[in-house]
Amino acid sequence: MSKADEVFLKVEDLEVIYTSGKKNVQAVNKVSFELKKGQTIALVGETGAGKTTIAKSILRILPNPPAKMLGGRITLEGRELTSLSEEEMLDIRGGKIAMIFQDPMTALNPLMTVGDQIVEGLLLHNDYDKDAAENRAKEMLELVGIPKDRFVEYPYQFSGGMKQRVVIAMALACNPLLLLADEPTTALDVTIQAQVLDLIRNLKEKYNTSMILITHDLGVVAETSDTVAVVYAGEIIEYADKRELFINPCHPYTNGLFGSLPGMTEGESRLKPIAGSPPDPTDLPKGCAFAPRCPYVMDECIESKPDMKEISPGHFCRCIKAGKEI
Amino acid sequence: MPLLEVKNLKKYFKVASGINHAVDDISFSVEKGETLGVVGESGCGKSTLGRTIIHLQEATDGNVILNGEDITHVHGKKLKEVREKMQIIFQDPYSSLNPRIRIEGTIEEPLRHSGKFKSKAELKEETNRLMELVGIDERLRNAYPHELDGGRRQRVGIARALALNPEFIVCDEPVSALDVSIQAQVLNLLMDLQDSTKVSYMFVTHDLSVVKHISDNICVMYLGQLVEKASTEELFRNTLHPYTKALLSAIPSVDINNPMKRLELKGEITSPIDPGPGCRFAARCPFATSKCKEPQKLREISKGHFVSCCRIEEIN
Ligand SMILES: Nc1ncnc2c1ncn2[C@@H]1O[C@H](COP(=O)(O)OP(=O)(O)OP(=O)(O)O)[C@@H](O)[C@H]1O
Ligand SMILES: Nc1ncnc2c1ncn2[C@@H]1O[C@H](COP(=O)(O)OP(=O)(O)O)[C@@H](O)[C@H]1O
Ligand SMILES: [Mg+2]
Ligand SMILES: [Mg+2]
Repeated sequence: MSKADEVFLKVEDLEVIYTSGKKNVQAVNKVSFELKKGQTIALVGETGAGKTTIAKSILRILPNPPAKMLGGRITLEGRELTSLSEEEMLDIRGGKIAMIFQDPMTALNPLMTVGDQIVEGLLLHNDYDKDAAENRAKEMLELVGIPKDRFVEYPYQFSGGMKQRVVIAMALACNPLLLLADEPTTALDVTIQAQVLDLIRNLKEKYNTSMILITHDLGVVAETSDTVAVVYAGEIIEYADKRELFINPCHPYTNGLFGSLPGMTEGESRLKPIAGSPPDPTDLPKGCAFAPRCPYVMDECIESKPDMKEISPGHFCRCIKAGKEI
Repeated sequence: MPLLEVKNLKKYFKVASGINHAVDDISFSVEKGETLGVVGESGCGKSTLGRTIIHLQEATDGNVILNGEDITHVHGKKLKEVREKMQIIFQDPYSSLNPRIRIEGTIEEPLRHSGKFKSKAELKEETNRLMELVGIDERLRNAYPHELDGGRRQRVGIARALALNPEFIVCDEPVSALDVSIQAQVLNLLMDLQDSTKVSYMFVTHDLSVVKHISDNICVMYLGQLVEKASTEELFRNTLHPYTKALLSAIPSVDINNPMKRLELKGEITSPIDPGPGCRFAARCPFATSKCKEPQKLREISKGHFVSCCRIEEIN
């Protein structure tokens, strides 16, 4: 087996709940996937689907309480992360594995200049001296499109997208082997977004970095990922190579996602969102979680949960109708 | 008379290394029931423009005129009135809600503050109506903001902004943090509300398909200044400014067989701190010449289509 084909990260049967009051939010339900070196998997799905929770489980930074990992194994290069000590994890976080957080403010210290924060991360995980770290930090700022004379400013003096870019600069500065990018470009315009995605692509080429890309922007998925997992109510409901998924989306939910996009060409004035809303995560349906919103629902869908079926090599779909004509 | 007129508005910030020209001499107007889209690079001053217009920040210079009345420097009771007429939906659904107040209380607060609802029952009824309007589940009434995901938090923000039937709402990237399906629901919601109440929006976004979908007119900003302004149709059909062209070319394509052909921008990004007098885009512009070192003027090229670039005749 060549090195490129080695499984780098393996997530098996991950299960996470949040306890809120007397109820449990079933955030992640038996999620499994694999990631090879240098590969990018995109996790797409509605807010609340469990994407961020999956990423945080890998880094082992779920807030406990209320979060609890009920089961599952996560292995990185054959080492089971779930069994490492907190000390060993500290070393991995920000070094081997870096995360770009969805909410930049939780990742930034409001009392420290942005420059000093990037420098701090660099000194922790590399053997830079202070000057070298400062130069590298300035270089990183410029790479994400922020002029280096802004090194001395505080987070509140930056715009939303600039804060997001600082977080990106921090995550990329240490050349991680695994990048968990949680909606990394939501606050960025397309020219800066393109620049940031180029930067990530360069990192992938240079260091063979693997990436989990969480996004709701299907355009970004199309430009950036190798494989796609569609997440719904804490489960992967469709999984395929990117090309295959875009050309032959199978699950009615995946089809609905494509239908909600505002088009750049056609002139329709109302968008077609998927009707209804995701199920109450404290009380998930016993059958298919999408059944209550599905335009093709049948009795069987409500009675029992459909299995994941391989409808063509490497294309998996969790729907009774998968592979059959509708 | 337009609902809102913005005249030569400026907002500068003093920072450690100099003066940041965040909003630098911007003018436009918005009619009743109209949506003005504002697009531009991250950090170019869109949020600052919105916050300055609705008086969350004091303008450095220039005027804001609402229904014919100059409101740039109002205060006290008048300011409270103006604030009720002009609302904002914030970019960041994470930090814009008070973490210690439950959802119900968060939505109720502006209603109570206005003094327009006499009894507890009336307040509750109006809160219910707003929650239903924006699609927040009954079960979340007693939840705290941190228990909600971004999409639901944003809906709470929208409910709050709608509470007092404002005439003008700055929507600062209201859907950027939402996934496409919920994005579509929220956009439809905002458009329906406009149909029924004739509210005007200033819609800040970096998502060009969204701005195209929702706006009547569009302003394109670059580092604190307007570089192009036109009706939506005209802007997309007859794009003139090099920055606008670069922006439109960088939209990721969902058509897997037809990836984007991006007009790549190279060169150093100009700092908004004490910028020089010339075109601020010139350092990255593929068409820049020495003429671009001079100050640029916003010119009307065809009716209603304004561009600030001395080279458009040669490059288009
Ligand atoms: N309170 C402040 N103090 C100092 N500088 C500020 C302040 N608020 C904004 N700025 C600066 O003003 C400029 C414009 O920021 P603004 O938030 O308006 O950008 P934006 O166009 O909304 O960007 P984004 O798309 O990233 O949200 C930036 O250079 C920013 O750093
Ligand atoms: N700290 C928390 N406390 C309670 N519930 C939470 C917390 N964080 C997330 N959840 C819930 O877990 C589910 C999955 O959330 P999340 O992983 O953030 O989804 P996504 O990233 O796909 O939007 C949602 O129902 C959300 O409300
Ligand atoms: Mg998330
Ligand atoms: Mg902003």
